[in-house]
Amino acid sequence: MTITDPSRPAPRFVRADGPDKVTGSGRYTADLTLTGMLAAKFKYADATHARIVTLDVSAAKAMPGVFAVLTQDDVPDVKFGPFVQDRTLFARDVVRFEGEIIAAVAAVDAATAQRAVDAIVVEYEALPVVNDIEGALSADSPLVHTEWAGYGGVDVLVRDRNDASFASIAKGDVDEGMAAADHVVRSRYVADGCHAVPIEPRAVVAQWEGNKVTIWTSTQVPFDARAGVCETLELPNSRVRIIVPHLGGGFGGKCGFHYEAHVAALARAAKRPVRLVFSRREEFVAPDRRREGIVYDFETGVKADGTITARRVWLALDNGAYTADAGFFSQLAAMHALGPYRIPNALAEAHLVYTNHQPSGSVRAPTAPQTCWALESHTDEVAAAIGMDPVAFRKLNAVDSGAEGPSGQTYGEIGVQQCIDAATAAAGYGQVLPDDEAIGVAIGWWPSFSVPSGAYVKIDGDGSGQIITGAQECGTGAVMTLRQLAADELGMPAERFELVYQDTSVAPYDMGATGSQTLFNNGRAVVAAAGQIAEQLRNLAAEQLEASPADIVLADGMASVAGSPDRGISIDELAGIAAGGELLIGHGSGIPPGAPATVGSSCVGDLGMSAWVAPQFSCHAVRVKVDRDTGVARVLHVSAAHDSGTIINPIGAQGQVEGAVLMGIGQALTEGTTYDDQGRQRNAALLEYKLQTCADAPPIDVHFIQINTPDAGPRGAKGLAEAPNVATAAAIANAIAKILGTPVRQLPMTAERVWEQLQGDQGARS
Amino acid sequence: MTDTPIHAIHLTVNGIDYPVAVAQGRNLLSVIRTEIGLTGTKEGCDDCECGACMVLLDGQPVNSCSYLAVQAQGRAITTVEGLADGDALSLLQRNLLDEGGVQCGFCTPGMLLSATALLQRNDSPSEEEVRIGLSGNLCRCTGYTKIVAAVQRTAVEIRAAARQA
Repeated sequence: MTITDPSRPAPRFVRADGPDKVTGSGRYTADLTLTGMLAAKFKYADATHARIVTLDVSAAKAMPGVFAVLTQDDVPDVKFGPFVQDRTLFARDVVRFEGEIIAAVAAVDAATAQRAVDAIVVEYEALPVVNDIEGALSADSPLVHTEWAGYGGVDVLVRDRNDASFASIAKGDVDEGMAAADHVVRSRYVADGCHAVPIEPRAVVAQWEGNKVTIWTSTQVPFDARAGVCETLELPNSRVRIIVPHLGGGFGGKCGFHYEAHVAALARAAKRPVRLVFSRREEFVAPDRRREGIVYDFETGVKADGTITARRVWLALDNGAYTADAGFFSQLAAMHALGPYRIPNALAEAHLVYTNHQPSGSVRAPTAPQTCWALESHTDEVAAAIGMDPVAFRKLNAVDSGAEGPSGQTYGEIGVQQCIDAATAAAGYGQVLPDDEAIGVAIGWWPSFSVPSGAYVKIDGDGSGQIITGAQECGTGAVMTLRQLAADELGMPAERFELVYQDTSVAPYDMGATGSQTLFNNGRAVVAAAGQIAEQLRNLAAEQLEASPADIVLADGMASVAGSPDRGISIDELAGIAAGGELLIGHGSGIPPGAPATVGSSCVGDLGMSAWVAPQFSCHAVRVKVDRDTGVARVLHVSAAHDSGTIINPIGAQGQVEGAVLMGIGQALTEGTTYDDQGRQRNAALLEYKLQTCADAPPIDVHFIQINTPDAGPRGAKGLAEAPNVATAAAIANAIAKILGTPVRQLPMTAERVWEQLQGDQGARS
Repeated sequence: MTDTPIHAIHLTVNGIDYPVAVAQGRNLLSVIRTEIGLTGTKEGCDDCECGACMVLLDGQPVNSCSYLAVQAQGRAITTVEGLADGDALSLLQRNLLDEGGVQCGFCTPGMLLSATALLQRNDSPSEEEVRIGLSGNLCRCTGYTKIVAAVQRTAVEIRAAARQA
């Protein structure tokens, strides 16, 4: 194990797309213009639950400058959804959330398109609005989908009325475990939903040539986007090409399939290229990617010596109106609610509940930050109940190498204990602080996702290389790092490689910038592809140098005979020779590591989330100050320690942690969606939904615990982009609870909520 | 839009004079991106909240989403495309890359202009002054740490260069 010293400068790594991005020459989707291009605008439901009585687009169609107006009548009658096929491109009979699309317009410019949208006449018959997560599960709740039972979906999903996905993880006997405890602690927590908020709003451009369409789009998952277009417009993959220009951030919000089909259908109907660019308000209300609100009831049994005997958790997640990629969130949230602890008797039950809110979906480590916040707040309450220091309690109960986790998975070498030590030491945990300051500590975990992925590598006659990959760069630098892997495999400088990426028609499949999986899986593919070229180069060099291929070493741009450094030939020269014969082309995929076994647990609604390949661990220790007069909590310092395996690109890895921590601070203190009594968002603008600014951001110490992980990605790397988003809000909560004396039971812990709690305490004392 | 008066104006962007005909209500951002054809300046919110559309007007940072194009006549407009000297990146551009202050890059143009203006009015800003100076530019990727480091390093290097000159 090594702990990297944050004070030691990381090796510099200048990203290949950097010059484009600092000069303004890099093109993002909204920057693209095509000859004859029209502007798209959508007509949104506004109503959150209503039957469409009248939908009249005739006036819009008749307006000058309007080329196409589409409704569900104009596209194939296809219900889609990765887990439950519960929605169509446009609402047909019923609208179920405010941002649901009823119609789409293509017109000469955006203003004309908006006037046409405004001319569309919709009349509704109101239906009862489901606005409360727990209420939606009651037997007498109105149904969001009356026809839910007839929907197609993934077979293992357990669905019942408004419950779109029930999952449980059970181990041992929880009742017996509680009976054996000296203390049983019960806590209730409520997390509000929040948003990914990439600074680039979504944009899509579509152009047809004959029966083929090219779609430029701001997606994190180009192959998934293509699958969505093909499914809903009934086209074969071969006729749909998705190209992603530079992507201005995603954070999960741009995962899935969003509007590519709407714009492609408009372009086909209008016989013109069409461009859609979202406003910031549309970013907030329309996509089916919002971090889910969750309600939690925790119960943990503990011995007087601090040993956990049992844990029972019930939780309900806000699915919103449609099931996007949230189908597996119930099981994922169940795992996070049990946490990275040794728990002999465990039961977690999770419901994914339909409401008339915007649909939920992947936002950076879905379910994890809010569930970690609730669990780790509860954990401090459990430690307090037996008078134990919360860090000592975690050291005692957290999993370790060789330990069995709550779902019955036995871990190989893992670094959670080292993370606790590193983060608390760096934060100076235990020091005496003013009474308006405290250090809170939380631990978190997150899987690595093992999935298929592919890449090609080629070396041209001049010795320069290209990596042609299906992987998607969303800003993290994961795709940029692929150059380093290929270069090291071939003994060439990384700068000799260009990256060709984000184009479904030139590269093999990759899942996209999702699940922190790029380096883990596409790294494996690139290493395999480069390995094929390395073999070709060794064979060629062996012929030239009259040596055995096994003795050829590729390093520093040379192919040399091992032990005889003067017997060598440059890779450039070999590339020139190859250009006249068998070309240097490699392709790679590799075999993704399989799921680990679990023993002694049972899962209902099992979507593969109860056993994690190469799990990542973290501990955040955060120093917070609370202003007792205003309730404003300010984060003064963050120490973040991470076991994400081997760190291949240190500066990029640090940047992931720093960015995720700041996002976690926002989630902790300011970022939460509030709804009106109809389930409409009340703060769908950056003025009311506050992100952290540069002036708010604290110093962030980053520590990497690099251990030898079984079943990891290339060189022992795990994922990284999501894991550092998990524990920050939880650590802040525990600091605030120390200062206040009791936890704030609702997330975000806004100044108003902290202040109200302070008033309540004073009321109780007086 | 069709009923609003059209003004024939000249805009000076990165030292080049552009004659443009714009409606009275057009914002500077949209004219820079469409008529002038420079797309480095980004639209993130159209609400003066994110700073992605920031440009310099006579050296002062302005959110171009909320500034009328007709008001910019006669002022020197600098966009991100005007920061490099030919192919040579500015010190700040180079340091932002070298320090790892660029991820998705969407806030980068506004951030660069904001920081350029900051360094022009204060060549030795404290960390707090840098953080306050950049607080009108939202970045969702970096946590700002490496951006602040790049600006501070640039200030040091500017001062060193000035001493040598």
